[in-house]
Amino acid sequence: MESRTQIEETAARWVARRDRKDLSQADEQELAAWLQASIAHRVAFIRLDSMWREANRLKALGAGVGVGVVPAPGEWQRSPFLGKKAPQGRPVTVQTASGKPRNRPVVRLRVLAASVLVGAIAVGTAWMMKSAGPAYQTHVGSIEGVTLADGSRVLLNTDSKIRVEISATERRIQLNRGEAFFDVAKDPTRPFVVVAGEQRVVAVGTKFSVRRFEHRSDEVQVVVTEGRVRMEPPTSAVKLPPVTVAAGNIARGSGAGVLLDAQPERPVDEYLTWRTGFLMFRATPLAEAAAEFNRYNATKIVIDDAAVGAVRIGGNFRSDNVEVFVRLVERSFPVRVERHGERIVLTAN
Amino acid sequence: MDEELDNWFAREVLSHEPALVRYLARIWPRHHEVHDLRQEIYIRVYEAALRSRPQNPKSFLFTTARHLMVDRVRRERVVSIEATADLDALNVLVDEISPEHHTSARQDLRRLADAFDMLPVKCRDVVWMRKVEELSQREVAARIGITEGAVEKRITKGIRLLAELYYGGDADDIGGATAAARTETEHGKQNAD
Repeated sequence: MESRTQIEETAARWVARRDRKDLSQADEQELAAWLQASIAHRVAFIRLDSMWREANRLKALGAGVGVGVVPAPGEWQRSPFLGKKAPQGRPVTVQTASGKPRNRPVVRLRVLAASVLVGAIAVGTAWMMKSAGPAYQTHVGSIEGVTLADGSRVLLNTDSKIRVEISATERRIQLNRGEAFFDVAKDPTRPFVVVAGEQRVVAVGTKFSVRRFEHRSDEVQVVVTEGRVRMEPPTSAVKLPPVTVAAGNIARGSGAGVLLDAQPERPVDEYLTWRTGFLMFRATPLAEAAAEFNRYNATKIVIDDAAVGAVRIGGNFRSDNVEVFVRLVERSFPVRVERHGERIVLTAN
Repeated sequence: MDEELDNWFAREVLSHEPALVRYLARIWPRHHEVHDLRQEIYIRVYEAALRSRPQNPKSFLFTTARHLMVDRVRRERVVSIEATADLDALNVLVDEISPEHHTSARQDLRRLADAFDMLPVKCRDVVWMRKVEELSQREVAARIGITEGAVEKRITKGIRLLAELYYGGDADDIGGATAAARTETEHGKQNAD
């Protein structure tokens, strides 16, 4: 029997041959016969033929490139169709306290995150004491949906807490902890404001998530799937302009400014797979993946070894299925697993 | 020959290939078999569509994928317990784990461009001249001073690799049940022509 690779090879050859646009009648007949011979041939041909037609879109990359020049890999990224690319392959803009936007790789954020405005903590606490609206919270591992009085819907991720205050002029949600996805009912007269630490995220009618981080308390991640939101930086000494975050964008705000990733390397929905109980990793360092699992489970994965933590993994997993995840890691990598009560310790083997 | 059916297949079925390959890679423990499974699923879907086109092609595609894997598991009895258990757990979640990715045209173009950049350099040059400069294969041959047969060969290779990279993704790259390790250098390396 013909193997898949043989069939694909033949199919690709036919697509390439037909691309010469000089098929003789005998060739046409031969192709037709080959396609008739089996459905395996046919589906392989359709697949590669539509790929070759899809490749017509590469034409967009030719903008601004001289005739007869084939740009080196990555060079075409000057194309106006794609925007500029940051050195690490991700377009980002950092708004600094000086107000000047600069291009910086994402790692930069870790530095920004370190700067916390101590004064703001007192302000936040005072506000919380004032607020009297209902509060909702989830335990580790649970995900809960809430419909608010204005018709907006909120999906609370694991170990999260919000407080809701709806007035005649504003809908204000305090995200005290964790992460929530908001499907906002349209109401132009009452802006929908999510307050996460010092960061204000303002929407009218849209869908987006806001996440806070346990160990980086001033940092906020905003993922927008529909419409747009405005991130208003803290009302601290330095006045920063608000940043608009559109559908498909991811933004991170911290005390020092907002970092906007307008073309995230993965579609934004992949950052929100938690809504259906899944975690999705793609070339994610094991340490990061473990930290994600730890958000959802009482059993915590502990990695003491930096080399183990740096191993990159991919795949989709149920967020509550930490056992399967650990077994797969154990099987696929030279990693030793030890269980100590609710701690699963991974070390190099 | 049914051109309309072929167009339908490309539009309604092949467009889900990235999600399908991710799904398979996640559940099926032997990664090197993912693309064979993918091909077999396409055959089943196309055969069914010859009789009558499914109302909801996407869910039909994933149901077919699941049936195929269940058949294999039963027949071979070699798949790990975890994979089987996961397969059952996923019965009702097919639509949810393969959500429609609302990628913009721009994101698609970027993926296409990234796939293009990973082609071996000789292949890449020929694809550029053919698709961007819109030279014919004959003109490409004249430009770089090789035979038309050689141009056709490079295009053949280019088509296959583009499909791997753009449509299906490499199962190892996508990872899944056997958690694939990957380094950036591996990912970006250029194969020799």
